[in-house]
Amino acid sequence: MFQPLTPLKWLGILGAIAAMLILPAVTQDTYLLHVLILAMVFGIFASAWNFVTGFAGLKTFGHHAFFALGAYGSALIGINLGLSPWLTIWLGGLIAALAGLFIGLPVLRIRSMPHVAIVTLGFAEIVRITLSNLTDITRGELGLWGIPAFEGFTLPVVGEVVFSPADKVPYYYLALALLLLSVAVITALMRSKTGLSLIAMRDGEDAAESLGVNLTRQKLQVFVVSSFLVGVAGAFYGHYISILTPAAVAGVDLMILIIAMVLVGGLGTLSGPLVGALVLTILVEFLRDLDTFRMLVYGAIIVLSVMFLPKGLVTIGQRFRRQPQAPATEAE
Amino acid sequence: MSIYLFIEQIINGLIIGSTYALIGSGIALIYGTMRVLNLAHGEFYMLGGYFVFYLAVTMGLAPWIAIPAAVFGAFLLGMAIQRTTIHFLFGREGWMFSTIAATLGLSIFLQNAALLLFGEQFQTVPYYISGIVELGQIRIPAQRILIFVVAMTTIGAMTYMLKYTRLGWAIRATSQDRDAAAVVGIPAERIYMITFGIAAALGAIAAAMLAPIYSINPWSGLPILLKGFVVVILGGLGSFPGAIAGGLILGVVEAVGVQITSSEWRDVISFGLMIAVIWWRPWGLFGSKPS
Amino acid sequence: MSDTPMLRVENLDVFYGSYQVLWDVGLELGNDEVVAVLGPNGSGKSTVLKAIMGLVPIRSGRVIFEGEDLTQVPTHEMVAHGISMVLERRRLFTNMTVRENILLGAYHKSVAKDTKARLEWVESLFPILAERRDQIAGKMSGGEQQMVAIARSLMSKPRLLLMDEPYLGLAPKIVDQIVQIIRKINSEGIAILFNEQNVKLSFGVSDHGYLLEGGRMVLSGTGDEMMNSDVVRRVYLGV
Repeated sequence: MFQPLTPLKWLGILGAIAAMLILPAVTQDTYLLHVLILAMVFGIFASAWNFVTGFAGLKTFGHHAFFALGAYGSALIGINLGLSPWLTIWLGGLIAALAGLFIGLPVLRIRSMPHVAIVTLGFAEIVRITLSNLTDITRGELGLWGIPAFEGFTLPVVGEVVFSPADKVPYYYLALALLLLSVAVITALMRSKTGLSLIAMRDGEDAAESLGVNLTRQKLQVFVVSSFLVGVAGAFYGHYISILTPAAVAGVDLMILIIAMVLVGGLGTLSGPLVGALVLTILVEFLRDLDTFRMLVYGAIIVLSVMFLPKGLVTIGQRFRRQPQAPATEAE
Repeated sequence: MSIYLFIEQIINGLIIGSTYALIGSGIALIYGTMRVLNLAHGEFYMLGGYFVFYLAVTMGLAPWIAIPAAVFGAFLLGMAIQRTTIHFLFGREGWMFSTIAATLGLSIFLQNAALLLFGEQFQTVPYYISGIVELGQIRIPAQRILIFVVAMTTIGAMTYMLKYTRLGWAIRATSQDRDAAAVVGIPAERIYMITFGIAAALGAIAAAMLAPIYSINPWSGLPILLKGFVVVILGGLGSFPGAIAGGLILGVVEAVGVQITSSEWRDVISFGLMIAVIWWRPWGLFGSKPS
Repeated sequence: MSDTPMLRVENLDVFYGSYQVLWDVGLELGNDEVVAVLGPNGSGKSTVLKAIMGLVPIRSGRVIFEGEDLTQVPTHEMVAHGISMVLERRRLFTNMTVRENILLGAYHKSVAKDTKARLEWVESLFPILAERRDQIAGKMSGGEQQMVAIARSLMSKPRLLLMDEPYLGLAPKIVDQIVQIIRKINSEGIAILFNEQNVKLSFGVSDHGYLLEGGRMVLSGTGDEMMNSDVVRRVYLGV
């Protein structure tokens, strides 16, 4: 993941970005655009979760809480204070980031993975139930609607840009912009001193600990940045879909979706979560006709990919190139 | 509120707590033996409930036949699931996370399999025994007393099994040191399979007992799983006796807490308690701090 | 001593992942012998024993015991073939009592007969354990734990006992006691294969030994032969 990108890979990335930029010019199919927008939102979420889990090594299962906090935060501020979504999505991200700080601090003190899993799940459930119970503010499971849409603006060549339910194209480009921004932030942080020290620690955690190396601050940084990004993604989602329910954005189903995406694509890799998000969102839509079978297949996919494709789709190529492993310390 | 009502609530708390203990002890058993956090445990409960429904209602068998049959079915299902999935993940790198992820996938798979097989209606099972037991001013439905008796008897049987039978020793030994167990001849993989089956059976007993009171539906697994987690956090993640104590305590705390606030905040109370315990005493209220 | 050795290990290659730790290791042990596998830390001596017992997978090579090829036999079946092991650092069932630990040594169905008689014999070897039978194993001292571990391994009436670093972390007085116990066990007809860092100490007790360096067998012989060898000096002192 941290070898400098080969020219071939650079080409691949630029090609992908170019393809995504051009796409709406090629097709105006609103359904396709909708699917891709969802894929990108989940792509941000998946990348951010992968950042914390596969990279900083903190196996959390409650990240959907940040998605919900960003979504509801931005929506409620917009509704009650009349502020523009262009501003409130960042506020939503901030709220999520603060929550990340609040839950991240105690979670980082816990050494055992199952405990972390349980705490984060519990925290997310508290968020969900609270959102559901505070019906005066959030309207609970009845749904929060009337979420303001992004205001339009005028661009030189293109003309008027209007964000309305009928026209997905502006949302598409906004989602793409947010996705690229998120990936850029994650990559920048990964290559920073913080990131490199975390990688160095990741594979030798016990050894590092015994040497007194404590990367709590770095991990917290990653956790907070990750929650911020997920919050922004959630906020965008709210202003895009225009209606929110606690079950939809704070339910465990969403977390399961994201975990599936990252596992299938490749935990701990950079492109894995994006590949996974794309593949699974398309798969989910494709299976929409099959309704109940959809989630059944989902569950099966998770189990099968854990069993047979433990490193995810993106590393299929690597499997055929044997990697030298570090010598075992217990060669006694 | 009258003192008698309060006592009734405490007793109800203990009764529900005893079922929490059953559920939590299943999770503790699996974690204690093989260090797997079983996120599909709620689905064992849910499927156990459906087995009971199918046998007792659809097929009309008497409860004293339907329930043991359902529990046995759950036992077999638990073993089968472990053998066909989790079994293959041991010994791989990153197995701790991949087993958690695999049980997560299983959880959705089983939820939706139930949805497909049984439909989305909420099903109920009629009370096994009717009538109200009166102790002075306190009135408890006989069904609820039955729940407590069955749950505590099961727990007693499990405790006896673990302490005095060959299988119980094998389970305890495997959970304490897998290599040493292998060296004395205990086949770890078979023990894992059996343990999973037992845990599923425990969940099914809880489901059988609660089925007449709470309905059975494909999504009843998740809330149960989360309850189970609170129980094992209170009691210490791999501890069977801890789960029993934790379950009873949780039942009482919830019963009292709901009197003070209201029932819709009940789960927030239990999760809040759980987070507090993890924060202050991560090894559980009864465990000892690992050296 | 009969002609065919009780235990023969041939051409053993063992890998941890893709990293090789044993190269073409071989050894022999005759009936009723006590044999030592020696070498400094990291030489692979513990791995040899673990490989015989099936605790680590064998990439190539064979383990032949009493004429039978046991290379592919899983660990939990070894006890049924008559081989028992005392693991490095005891590895007791720490939350179970001394009595439970010892009795578990006879868990396997094929060795579960005459448990009572065997228990009496074992408790005669370790009288202190008979007193402490209801104590939680994890709370005992290192020396006592080692005795429990040995007692447990004897319950299956093994014909060969593997001992991985039996003296590790024990006070000299306890080490002497263990040495006596090893002699006593051997006099009852049980062959012993153990590993140890201290060359001199091991030759008080063993008939012959093997020296490992960096995963390869570099020397074998009787106590006198090895004590006087330059190879030993080089391996341990680098001179």
